[in-house]
Amino acid sequence: MGAALGTGDKKSVNVELNIVPFIDLMSCLTAFLLVTAVWVNIAQLDLKPKGKSRDPSQIKEDEEKVVLSVLIQPDKIWLVQSRIGEQQAIDRTGNPADYWGQFEASLADLKKSAFFIDRSDLELAAESISEEQKVVYQDLIWAMDIAKKTGFSDIGLTDRDGLTAKPTL
Amino acid sequence: MPVRAPGPRLFHFSTKLKHISAVVHAHGKASNIALNLTPFVDMMTILVTFLLMVFSASGEILRAHQGLEMPTAAQQAKLQQAPIIIVTETQISVLIQDPDSAMPVMKDVAVVQSILENPPPTLKIDALHEILKATYDSIHNDVESGNDKHIGKDELAACSREQEGLPPILDELGHVKHWCPDGLAIVQADKKTDARIISMIVNTARQAGFDKLLFAIKYSGEGPR
Repeated sequence: MGAALGTGDKKSVNVELNIVPFIDLMSCLTAFLLVTAVWVNIAQLDLKPKGKSRDPSQIKEDEEKVVLSVLIQPDKIWLVQSRIGEQQAIDRTGNPADYWGQFEASLADLKKSAFFIDRSDLELAAESISEEQKVVYQDLIWAMDIAKKTGFSDIGLTDRDGLTAKPTL
Repeated sequence: MPVRAPGPRLFHFSTKLKHISAVVHAHGKASNIALNLTPFVDMMTILVTFLLMVFSASGEILRAHQGLEMPTAAQQAKLQQAPIIIVTETQISVLIQDPDSAMPVMKDVAVVQSILENPPPTLKIDALHEILKATYDSIHNDVESGNDKHIGKDELAACSREQEGLPPILDELGHVKHWCPDGLAIVQADKKTDARIISMIVNTARQAGFDKLLFAIKYSGEGPR
């Protein structure tokens, strides 16, 4: 980088840096970084499709333990526990933050129970009825997000018929 | 070029601008103009610092697609390179990275509306299954043969752990550091996609051998609103 020593006066000791190359470099770097910048923070949620290569011992084990099944419908969210037959329905009316908040509280309570305190598995299914009454992908993601948040990290996605415990009206 | 004392350059040395100079001098005004560059340099420094902080050297895994707005979630983990099943408002496609080519290959599979109107009874989308099965076989063979030209060393190490029945290595946040690419796929779907389509895709992927699915999301610190 060039520097001008003095300004004509022999006694002057002022040094003025030439900042033009610095500005050039900064401009190039800014242009490059703006082009390559990642503006959206993309991440992932992982899950395992339920039902693959399940050996008989695994199925028997599933039958012996209580399985938590979550079914999302356009108007309700069901939490059903197999074997003991307990079920809870959350109405999907009003503010989504309210009913998803209820869902989170229910899952957190279940996680503290003796059946699930040392387990992290959960079954998840969604059931759309028609084009007008459908469950959208965002609902599934929120359910998975909340399940992971409450400690159910091993999520198996299936359809309504694949659930171990289905809600009964 | 000789080193000159710093000072105004316009109209005198490097930037003569004779036609403008003639107009300025005609009005009897001083022709020396000194721009204050300090705020400009300050702004550039802040911008460069910010852009360096958000810079990602790991490359782009997911691309933006027309008619696809990703869902938001608060939980997050890093994405990994894998075949991508893309579901937009209208179309289901698969994006496969050919290891011998720099460009990924995009294949259209089905139209969303026709699948919803005539859902397959076994919940298996045949065209998708065909492509996924071929992709799975190719990746599976690479993993089995330990082909480190197509699969990274960290991923091969993750596969060895998986085969030995060991749990995957987690990072400091508790997320899986590297997934074994054998049976790993990414689902990138529009947030308004019908859950029936997602069910069919998950079922088809499972039947093709993909038993580890990563759902691409847009990170948001807030939950449902």
